[in-house]
Order: sequence, then structure tokens, then C-alpha cells
Amino acid sequence: MRLDIDTYKEIADSLLRNKRRSLLTGFGVFWGLFMLLFLIGGGAGLKDLLSKTFSGFATNSMIVVEGQTTKPYKGLKEGRWWDIDYRDVERLKMMVPELDVVCPMISTWGSSVVYGAQTSSAGIKGVEASYKEVETVNLKYGRYINEVDVAQERKVCVIGKRIYNELFPEGGDPCGKYIEVGAVQLRIVGVDFNSGMMSINGQASQSLVMPITLAAKLYHRGSKVDLLCLTGKKGVKMSSLEPRLRSVMGRQHLFDPTDKPAMMVLNTEQIFSIVDNLFRGLNFLIWLVGLGTLLAGAIGVSNIMMVTVKERTVEIGIRRAIGALPQEILMQIILESVSLTIIAGSFGIVFATFMLRALELIAKSTFQIGFWTAVAAMLLLAVLGVVAGLAPALRAMHVKPVDAMRDE
Amino acid sequence: MQIELHNVHKTYEGAQPLHVLKGVNLSIEKGEFVSIMGASGSGKSTLLNILGILDNYDEGEYFVDGQLIKNLSERSAARYRNKMLGFVFQSFNLISFKTAVENVELPLFYQGVGRKRRHDMAMEYLERLGLKEWAGHYPNEMSGGQKQRVAIARALITHPQIILADEPTGALDSKTSVEVMELLGQLNREEKVTIIVVTHESGVANCTNRIIHIKDGVIGNIEENSRHNASAFGTTTVMK
Repeated sequence: MRLDIDTYKEIADSLLRNKRRSLLTGFGVFWGLFMLLFLIGGGAGLKDLLSKTFSGFATNSMIVVEGQTTKPYKGLKEGRWWDIDYRDVERLKMMVPELDVVCPMISTWGSSVVYGAQTSSAGIKGVEASYKEVETVNLKYGRYINEVDVAQERKVCVIGKRIYNELFPEGGDPCGKYIEVGAVQLRIVGVDFNSGMMSINGQASQSLVMPITLAAKLYHRGSKVDLLCLTGKKGVKMSSLEPRLRSVMGRQHLFDPTDKPAMMVLNTEQIFSIVDNLFRGLNFLIWLVGLGTLLAGAIGVSNIMMVTVKERTVEIGIRRAIGALPQEILMQIILESVSLTIIAGSFGIVFATFMLRALELIAKSTFQIGFWTAVAAMLLLAVLGVVAGLAPALRAMHVKPVDAMRDE
Repeated sequence: MQIELHNVHKTYEGAQPLHVLKGVNLSIEKGEFVSIMGASGSGKSTLLNILGILDNYDEGEYFVDGQLIKNLSERSAARYRNKMLGFVFQSFNLISFKTAVENVELPLFYQGVGRKRRHDMAMEYLERLGLKEWAGHYPNEMSGGQKQRVAIARALITHPQIILADEPTGALDSKTSVEVMELLGQLNREEKVTIIVVTHESGVANCTNRIIHIKDGVIGNIEENSRHNASAFGTTTVMK
């Protein structure tokens, strides 16, 4: 079969002969491909949006917060409060070697921060240097709190993006400048631009981080801490450590290890796995619906081609009588089917990218499908076209020249 | 001998097998203008289909130019049809969504002839048949006689040695029938093409030089008719 301009003209002729039918048939493929690509893009964009929310947080971490006991234990009544102690850090590190980081935190809310004429409000977080392993730090200027800061109770701090923007509207490196936090002056050593939405005790952008030893002094906490942030070593499943954490803490602070409300444990691994499962399910649905719609479109093409072949029996018979080879007829029908699917599908790709772009302008996320996804979609279309055209083409191939005369 | 059939049998299989051709023996010389005449059901169309390599036969032998035509593959049958044979059908069998010139071009398209040359040749043939102004028209814009002339142009364009015409006047009025038959006769004389016309009309058969009668699947008498006086209905008209 020659693939010259005449072949294309033949195809165009037969497709345009019944414009409305070609249009409606093509619409099935168009819509199928649009749905598939739009859903893929939409799903990826949604995931992107959510992972932005979760970004900047260790996926393998756990937060331990004290609670009120609900069970009597060792002669003590229920309804008792206890406090996490600074010494619990060393205790947990020793007793549970699977833990990588054990970082205590002291926090207060809504402290006002002043620099010159500018003021801002911040959530204060007193932490150890290892906190950056729990919540990812995205330093724009300077450095993070280090171990010497903690050991020497240095009056230094790292400020979040929003505080920085409010205190230094003209921009520039604020490191070395002193800001007023309550009654004390703290020297800025770093600016954290992390903008993740998931964080402990307030967003990073609105937080002021200082050495925990300093915070304990400033806010008169003694050796009490508010919570402990834990991360596991690589490959450790955090949820499996929970019973041991409870028994270690329970023995020390005298509460029943089976008394869940006595010690609240927040496991980010669980949250992440829920989100992951959600997206796995969503992806499955996307492919099911998208491919299903596309397949329905292709079956529509196949059906219509079948009808067309039946209608064109005489025409095909004439072509055969004047010298067309069976494989030329086969190729013609398959090419018609492929052309219809590819043309309709291309509009689907264009429309999908257009709609995804529109979506991107509304929601700040990357919805657009990749170039190679579009190429793969094109290939899929070609394959679908061949498959859809195969049965009708085989039927057309078996039309005998005599059939042209029989249908008189 | 250009066309020779020896004892050709054809049976249509089915719930009731139909033995249509019961041993046909026939020979046609190169450049002859013959008609095969018979009532409906006599097997004349089946015979034409076999002559045109449109259908297979069960028994016997069929030679074209000394070449045995039997159980050919689809590919070689198509090649024979394309190169050696031209067809003219009762219902014209033009492709309705193609213009006259595109219809005439089609056999050349399947021969792989280039676009420009194809078009020029088709125009030349249409001109010879007096249809130059109608080249761009679709079949449904033309009269029956014009359509049949387009079909004849399409049959001629591959320079076939044999033209097979199945009831070429069947759908035409008597005046156009005469014109078409005269055209076929003229082609036979000028181009030396073998023309075989299948018909059930004695007037049409009378226009040819030899009339082969077929009845109940066997060849009956063969009339020499070089003086065109076989028809009882006169020599000047085609009886409808």
C-alpha cells in the first residue's frame, strides 16, 4: 500500500462523506482521551498540592505529648497529670535504640517580637539542634540553632519567613541583628523559609526558634518539656515502637502502659500512609475511569466502522473488481480507523492540556501532564485505532468482487 | 484463441446446492465482439463472473492467452483483473462520492500510477467519450447514458484486452442503449478490444458479431451475426 497523498485523500473522502457520524464517533474517543489525561493531570496536581502541605516534615516521625491518666496504677488514682521531663530524652535514647532523634520542645504562643518600629507575633519554640531532623529547615540566611547554642544557653534565634517579612520589610540579611522578644534581646542567626503546612505547634513561617535551654529559663519551665519529637532510624516502623515507649515512660512516670490517653502519641507515618493509600486508590480509579471511557470510545469507532463496511460492500466490491488487493482494502479501513482516533484524540490532548492549564491558573499547583505522557497517549491512540479497525477491516477484506454485483 | 473454457462446472453450495454451469465449452478469439445471451437463471452471469475472474469454478479449465486461470490467489486474481480485464456493469457501479474523473482514475490508482499522469489519462478517456465537461460531476448529477460512458472509460483506462459487460444497457432507455452498444462496437473496431456482452435482450445481442446462447447451464447454439440481422425485431433498433 502506497502511503501517498491519494491514500490520505481516500481516507479523508470516506471520513468526510458522513461528517456527522464521523464527528459523533470521534467524540467518543476525544472525550475518552480528555477524561484520561484530565484525570491523570488532576490527580497528580492534587497529590502535589497535598505533598506541599506535608513537605518539610520527616515522614518517619512521632510526637509524644503528656496526657491525663484514666486508669489507677500502682496505688495512684486515675485522672492524674504528669510531665515529660528533660531527662526523658536520654532515657528514651538509651532504652529504645531504634530511635534516631529524640528532641524535646518547649513552646509558647503569641509572643510579640519587635525590631525597631516593626512588630510581629510569633510562636516560640525552644528546641535542640536535632530538631532540624524532624521538621525540614529551608534556610534563606544564616544557620540553624546548634549544640553549642543549646549548651551555653546563647540568646540566639531563627525566625520564620512571615516574621522576617514583617520585621524586615525592606529585605536583606538580618543575621546579627537583635530583636526584642518579651524582656530579652535575641540575636538572629538564621531565617527559615520552610513553608510546609504541617508542623508542630504552629507553622514554621510564624515561628521563632531558640535553644531549649534558653526557653526553659525564659519561661520558667525548669526541667519540664511540652513534648518530645522522635524519629526512627532508617527502616524502623515507628508504630511498632509505640508499646515500648509507653512502657518506658509509664515505668518512669507511673502510669499504666496500656492507658492510652495518659500519653498521646501522634504518628506521622500513619498519616502519610493514609494519604498514600488514598492516592493509590484515587490513581486506580483515575485509570479505571479514564481507560474505560477511552475504551468505550474505541469500541464505538469499531462499531461504526463495522456499519460503514457493511454499507460500503458495493463500493469495496467495485474497488476489488477494478484491481484493489485485499490487503489494500484492509489497510484502507485500518487507516481510516487510525485517522479517526488520532484526529479525535489529538483534540482530546489539546483540550485536556488547555483545561489543565486553566486549572493551574486557579489552583497553585502543577496539574499539567508531561510531554512524554502526551506522546504515550498518542501511541495508545494509534494502537487503539488499529485494534478498533481490525475487525471491520478483516470483514471488508473478505468482501468479494462479486458482492458488488449481488447488491444490485 | 484468447479465451477458452473446457467443461467448466460451477455449483453454488448451500442448503440446496445449485448446479449452475454444467460443462461449458467456449472459445473466443482475440478482437471478437460477442454476446452471451440467455434467460435469467440460465447461468450467464455466473459465466461472466468466471470469465472476469471474479468467482472460482469447480471443475474444468479456463485459459486466458493460454494461461490457466484456476484457484488463483487473491493477489494474482486482482492483478489479472487490473491489467487484462475491464468491467462494465448494469448498475454502472460508479463510486458515488467520487467525481467522474476520479472514478475513471481509480484503476490506475491501484496500479500505482502517479497522480498527474493518472488525471491526464482519465481526462483523455473522458474526452474521447465526450464527457470532458462532466469530469467534475458526481455520478448522481449525470444521466444513465453518461454514467455508463464513465464506466466504460473506467474499464478502458487500463488498456485491457478484454471488456466484460454485464447487461450494459439494462438500466438505460432504448435510445441510450443504442448509443452505448454503438460505442462498444466502435471500441471493438478501433481498439481491437475483445468485448463480451452478457444480456437477455435480443436487440442488444444483435449488435454483436456473434451470439452465444446459454440455456440451463450449457452452451446452446452459436449464431454468426456479422450482418446484424439476427433479431426478429429489426436491425435498426434495440428492443427493450
